Amino acid sequence: MASGTKSKGTTKPKSKNGAKGRSRSSAGRPTRPKPWGTIAAVLAVVLLAGGVFTYAFLEINEKEQWVASEENPDPSENIDGVKREKYESGQHVTGAQRVAYDQSPPFGGPHDQAWAACSGVVYDTAVRTENMVHSLEHGSVWIAYNPDQVKGGDLDKLKGKVEGQPYMMMSPWPGLDKPISLQSWGHQLKLDKADDTRIDEFIRSLRENQYQNPEPGGRCDVDGTGFDPANPPPFVAEPPGDDAVKMDGTGAVDESAQEMQGQQVPPPATEGTAPPASEQPPAASGTGAPPPSQ
Amino acid sequence: MTDTDTDASPPTSNSSRVLIIVAAMVAVLLVGAAGGMLLAMSRSNDVTPGPDSVDVGFAQDMRVHHLQAVTMAGIERDRTDDGELRRLAFDIESTQLAQASEMAGWLTVWGRQSLPDPGAGHMEWMSQGGTHEHTDALGQTTTGAVDRMPGMATSQELDQLRAATGRELDVLFLQLMLRHHQGGLQMAEYGAQHASAGYVRNLAKKIVSSQVSEVNLLTDMLTRRGAQPLPPA
Repeated sequence: MASGTKSKGTTKPKSKNGAKGRSRSSAGRPTRPKPWGTIAAVLAVVLLAGGVFTYAFLEINEKEQWVASEENPDPSENIDGVKREKYESGQHVTGAQRVAYDQSPPFGGPHDQAWAACSGVVYDTAVRTENMVHSLEHGSVWIAYNPDQVKGGDLDKLKGKVEGQPYMMMSPWPGLDKPISLQSWGHQLKLDKADDTRIDEFIRSLRENQYQNPEPGGRCDVDGTGFDPANPPPFVAEPPGDDAVKMDGTGAVDESAQEMQGQQVPPPATEGTAPPASEQPPAASGTGAPPPSQ
Repeated sequence: MTDTDTDASPPTSNSSRVLIIVAAMVAVLLVGAAGGMLLAMSRSNDVTPGPDSVDVGFAQDMRVHHLQAVTMAGIERDRTDDGELRRLAFDIESTQLAQASEMAGWLTVWGRQSLPDPGAGHMEWMSQGGTHEHTDALGQTTTGAVDRMPGMATSQELDQLRAATGRELDVLFLQLMLRHHQGGLQMAEYGAQHASAGYVRNLAKKIVSSQVSEVNLLTDMLTRRGAQPLPPA
């Protein structure tokens, strides 16, 4: 309001009978010189107001552009370098089976019946992939890193985003082709540096995202499931054999996946390739089985 | 407005005045809109608490806090041999999971993140612009964000809980859960007082009252097992 009154005031003195009505004063003088001062003042005020508005808009946009909603179901579309694939959900394999994944690290596809604990868990050793992929289905974000390239302060920086934070998990991925790789169901982002701002943007956009994850709200706790986070089934480096479950679910346990091959549930234990996940030696603690100590 | 219309002088003479009036109106509108938007960030109206409001901060951080209680209670429920403790663990696990899900629902409806920003810390929403102090898990007082909220167990403590059996498991569970309940009170009390939405204050109050009485129960159960509470640090 104040700005409007002020600019009017500067015009007024130029009119002949300024004491009387404003419209009358300007009435008979079509050739009056342009009030450049006024125009400049008005312009300055509008520019200033525009600046204030833009600042407010950007500030709010930064907070809200990463929130998934019906209008913005995949906020990660604003992040450079995110790889996307569509995967069928709900196809399960047993602890003795392997999946011939199409990505490294995988970010969707058939997976073990038991999910890996994803309640803010940092795994120091590489974990069996089939379990990790199941946790993605529940809405978690998995930070994988190359243990030869990410160490010290960088490693701590990543751990700080995971430890104790719901729907987060982190593990090394031996031989990873980039230092860091983020996975969410159907999404992957490979990065060089632990301080890349896209890490937080990826997590904000996709963790617990109700539109991108097949089973948002699925548990990250694993008690009674056969998965022991203190002694997780190990990562298997050798490529899976011909008997591995295919990405289209061929060979998977799931009812919805297969009619023809669905019968071969207990497959011949693949010699040496995959140690049966749920039957680890009862080292630190038993899971579902009778507790080792009395 | 009216006298410009009625006086109806030649349009050319009015053009600069019209320009000024329009520009002034645009400027006022822009500043007003910006002010409103900025105000809405820290304050909450009845419908949608802003991203920096107490309501959003409480819901996000209390979810994290609750979900760890769910994790600990799940371990105990699954592994204890003590019927009384299995019942208590089941009660805590299901109550806090339901409340965490309720808060997730609010955050979705409000159009906010369902969890705090990764790596940004916790409890900064309790500082009232730097004038109100709170503590972290180690009892340090601050007005800023804390890395670990009071009462939160470390990963090592959770591993210990998973590895323990028998009486050792029960005692450690009681100790960790007691400390967890006490640590959560600070946030719940603040939320009960300062959240803008009535239903947020209500849940926060329920958390305060139920956890205060459970603190007594947990202390009593610890004493009966001949064990002591953990120090707050």
